[in-house]
Amino acid sequence: MNRRTMLTTAATLYFGILALAISADAAPQARPPGGSRPRSQADSHTGSQAGSHAGARTGSHANPQIVTLPGSPPLVEVRVMLRAGSAHDPAGKEGLAALTANALLEGGYGDPAKPVTKDELARITRRWGENAKPSVLLDKETTTFVFNVPREVLAEYRQTVLEPLFTRPLFLKEEIDRLRNEAVTNLTASLRYEDIEILGLEALDDDVFSGTSRGHTVTGSVQGLRTITPDDVRSFYVTYYKTPNMILGLSSDDAPVIDTVRAALATLGTAPKGGKARTLKAARLAPPAVVSGRELTIVGLPDAPAASLHAGFPIEVRRDHPDFWPLYVANVYFGTHRDDHGVLYQHIREQRGYNYGDYSYIEHFAFRPYALFPPFNTPREQQYFSIWIRPVAEQYTHHILKALTWELENLWRNGIPPEAVELSKNKAKVLYLNLAETSSRLLAAKMDDAYYGTQPGYLQSYLTHIDAVTPEQVNAAVRRHLRPDNIKYLIVEKMEKARALANDIRLDRNTAGKTPEEYQISSAEQDGQRVYDIPEARLHVLQQDAVWASTRLGIDPQRIRVVPVEALFETGAFITEGVAAGGAAATASAAGPR
Amino acid sequence: MIDRPARGAPSRAAATTTRTSFGGAAAPDPRLLHNLAPIRAVDPDSVGGPALGAAPAAILGLVLAVIVAVVPALVPAGAAVRSAATESAAGTAPAGASEAAAVAAPIGSSHTTAPAPAPAPAPALAPAPATATAPTQAGVPASSSFFPYPVHKKTLPNGLDVIVLPMHEFKDVLSYNTMVLVGSRNEVEQGKSGLAHLFEHILFRHRWEGKEGGYDAAVNRMGAFNNASTGSDITYYQPLTFTSNLDLLARLEADRFGRLAITEKIFQTEAGAVLGEYRRLASDPSLRMEEVHSQVMYGSYGYGHTAIGYLVDVEDMPNEYKAAVRFYDDYYRPNNCVLIVAGDVDPARIFALAEQLYAGWQQKPIPALGDPAPLGGPKQQEVPWPVDVPPRVEFCYRMPAHHTGSKDTAIGQILPELLTSETAPLYQLMRYKKQTATGLFTPKELYQSFGPGPFVLTAILYQDKYAAQGKALLSEASADMIAALQDMKSFSARADAAQTLQELGSKYAYDLLSGINSPAHAAEIFGEFYRFERDPQVFDKLVGSVRSLTPQDIDAFAKKIFVPENQTVVTLIPGAAAAAAAGTQ
Repeated sequence: MNRRTMLTTAATLYFGILALAISADAAPQARPPGGSRPRSQADSHTGSQAGSHAGARTGSHANPQIVTLPGSPPLVEVRVMLRAGSAHDPAGKEGLAALTANALLEGGYGDPAKPVTKDELARITRRWGENAKPSVLLDKETTTFVFNVPREVLAEYRQTVLEPLFTRPLFLKEEIDRLRNEAVTNLTASLRYEDIEILGLEALDDDVFSGTSRGHTVTGSVQGLRTITPDDVRSFYVTYYKTPNMILGLSSDDAPVIDTVRAALATLGTAPKGGKARTLKAARLAPPAVVSGRELTIVGLPDAPAASLHAGFPIEVRRDHPDFWPLYVANVYFGTHRDDHGVLYQHIREQRGYNYGDYSYIEHFAFRPYALFPPFNTPREQQYFSIWIRPVAEQYTHHILKALTWELENLWRNGIPPEAVELSKNKAKVLYLNLAETSSRLLAAKMDDAYYGTQPGYLQSYLTHIDAVTPEQVNAAVRRHLRPDNIKYLIVEKMEKARALANDIRLDRNTAGKTPEEYQISSAEQDGQRVYDIPEARLHVLQQDAVWASTRLGIDPQRIRVVPVEALFETGAFITEGVAAGGAAATASAAGPR
Repeated sequence: MIDRPARGAPSRAAATTTRTSFGGAAAPDPRLLHNLAPIRAVDPDSVGGPALGAAPAAILGLVLAVIVAVVPALVPAGAAVRSAATESAAGTAPAGASEAAAVAAPIGSSHTTAPAPAPAPAPALAPAPATATAPTQAGVPASSSFFPYPVHKKTLPNGLDVIVLPMHEFKDVLSYNTMVLVGSRNEVEQGKSGLAHLFEHILFRHRWEGKEGGYDAAVNRMGAFNNASTGSDITYYQPLTFTSNLDLLARLEADRFGRLAITEKIFQTEAGAVLGEYRRLASDPSLRMEEVHSQVMYGSYGYGHTAIGYLVDVEDMPNEYKAAVRFYDDYYRPNNCVLIVAGDVDPARIFALAEQLYAGWQQKPIPALGDPAPLGGPKQQEVPWPVDVPPRVEFCYRMPAHHTGSKDTAIGQILPELLTSETAPLYQLMRYKKQTATGLFTPKELYQSFGPGPFVLTAILYQDKYAAQGKALLSEASADMIAALQDMKSFSARADAAQTLQELGSKYAYDLLSGINSPAHAAEIFGEFYRFERDPQVFDKLVGSVRSLTPQDIDAFAKKIFVPENQTVVTLIPGAAAAAAAGTQ
């Protein structure tokens, strides 16, 4: 159960989908998944004045896909999604996609002799509200710019911000240098040392895709960022910032609004002034390697208050897959994010108090740990299943690694009882209230529909799909997609303890969970023996701990490795060999803020 | 960043949870606790859910916002105790009932006094008549059509205001909100602070259908998110569910508000939970700072304590069952409540249900509150803190009570932007130029209060600089802050004064508008401002007043408010215990 929500809903039922003019070659470097994307549909929204522009949008392959919400609100939300993310970073230039997006917003635009700087942009947009200044959402396959424009100043906004910012960027060198330094610091100081949860989540996302262009974090790599020049940024811009590569979302279906925004972006990707730009070789987004068997990476930190546990493997299921909704319900049952409904949460936190929360995912979930509900506009052709165990006291790390493994094995082996499926379906329906909370979410979700080519749309069909799911489908989907034999484990732990932990796991011996005393079970000395007075209701708690303790992980000792955190995020490889623990960055961190 | 475009919207929601997004520099506002101690944000898993970007700050704000999950506790069954309100529920309708007219006032329509019209099917945002939408300076929507949805209002004979905001594009969504115009300011009995907040907990323990835990169980079966929050002025209950649950939810809500049934045992259990909540917060200096400045500024007046109450009172709460029943009887009255229903709903259906379900709830005159004694400033207080947290300096002033349309209230709406936004001179001085402060903020929400609420300008200073400079750093920060406040008295002398006001007026309107992006948010923002004059057109007046401010208005306001007689300075001195111990050796 969660907090407030609101919801909106199937507002999409009202709106027809306006996925328009999609050409087969719309995204040369990122072919649409599923292949079922709607093409050139006639406008089916309910607005009466929408007809006039429909034809204009359906004729040319150069047009972007346009997604709208019905109506004509006084504030128009604009979301510009490009099919270009960190997976499109050229090898050795990891971080180029993110740097390009940030430099577009903060690198100046307009007349090179009199550039509009980031400070000037803030001043210009202030009168139109906090959200008139564009922001950007970065992920591995997409980059999405977001801003709100008052409808009645749209013409002025186009002239002073929208068109020049997007089509006449200057990519000023000093701003790129600043942004690059910030990005490097983010990797070497913040990401590596500040928060073991975020570190583990990012690392698993890279680990699952290691060896492919998705195998580095969105910010990039330390060495990659250092090689990026302003001309690289210009090249990325001219290669990927193209209207056929764009999904444009508008919270209005007002014809003049649509036409204005589309026209403002028409020359997107034209070679910018002030440097040289070349078209980059199209990135190949290869599928991740099949995970065969079990492997474990322990990331060692100079210091860590506890251990963060992660596990995952790629799955072929996406929103357009027939098993998506059954697997969705299964995941609600197993590990609903930030909620007490899931089995993992109930067994590890609620009943035993090992940590703060335990969850699972069938799609990448951005902005953890903060976000309570998954944000839209981080769509991915290639998804992965994952488990996230929030930090546990280090003496239980091995035990809880076994616990999560047993729970997944149990799910896969024994399935979910029909009554639990029903409860999870109900839970899923209530979650819908949050997923469809605001018009902004509705719009973003429809853009993801366009990305995936799902129809009817995700939110539009959510409740219907949940209703239709049967226990048989749920359990069949679990059997097909959540096989626990092939899995990558990742633990973030204090380096000092990491090697001993690795050895324990190699030996695969029984572990020890919490003691009866830790569970506040009273005892007395009787005939020289300690006798525990275990309440009936608590007996199963101890019994299950014993079951976990004797679970065998069976990880090939050769596939258990300990790496210093400094080996992560260094290059495009998941692990950069030859990096010693406690390098310069580690030293700096140790001397930095606690 | 997640897609929450509501940054900076001046709504109470900033202190609850999901919508937290403290735009720009008007950062997390620990002091929101004063006005709002939300409870029952039911993420069992903790606080959380900030807009990203503002994450750490927002999390701080959330922690301070006293969010707890209220979990059903096993409480032995006992005799249900019904309040006097229930016992008198069968009484006759009060005099004047026949005068209570059904007023439908769809904002944006030129027929504001016409009976409730059926709304047009699925308007995304109600378009205003062309004559009312002429763009005004800086392009702000014309004030006569500011609120983007039609507003339907009906006042029941017992005084209950029923507001319906149809938002049909949020299909199947029902946001059913009850605002009770009671908060910590009403806790005027000595030793009884925290009762309003406790009652917010208690209402979730209502014995629906005579069963312990009956209300919560019924809501869970039905499927809803069900939160509430308590502030100094209001207590707000906000279940969210599907429209198909309307009938059941309306019955559940009407029952718990009009016929609350609890046992003394449950009362005691819940009082214990509140104590746990207090302890959880007590390690943060923000709560203590708020307790101190509230006490110094207001003494025994209702704003003199925080929404959660004093520890000694909270500890004694289990023994205050009778006082609690009295509190409920005094304030949980239909004439002291506003029901705001938003989403995919039909106003006629809501009105019919309300008439049917709430008619038996009897009105009663609400106890009147006096005014606080004159402050007699300047006042000053140091708060020693045993741990080495960053030091803080707070400059506090009593603000005029809220009157929609007044200049004072309008200035209150943009004061945070003038003093602590990224473009404010003081912010630039302390954050960038001198780098004395890691944070500088003013709560955005405190200037909308029934009484003379507090204005608090807070600077959080660099801990390492304090370690090196000691109290010299506090003196320097205080001098900069007072200089900035004094400088407001000659605001009109700034070259860009008029332009700044014009831009801030425009920004205010757009930020307000962008916060109205879901049924729950719309209801919350509407209620926050409607409650003062109970005027459905309140936003037109409010936005108009902000946009018509002149630089000279700012001068006059500063000369009236930022004066020594109205000033309280509170300073957090970290490591004071250690220092004191060292001093005595």
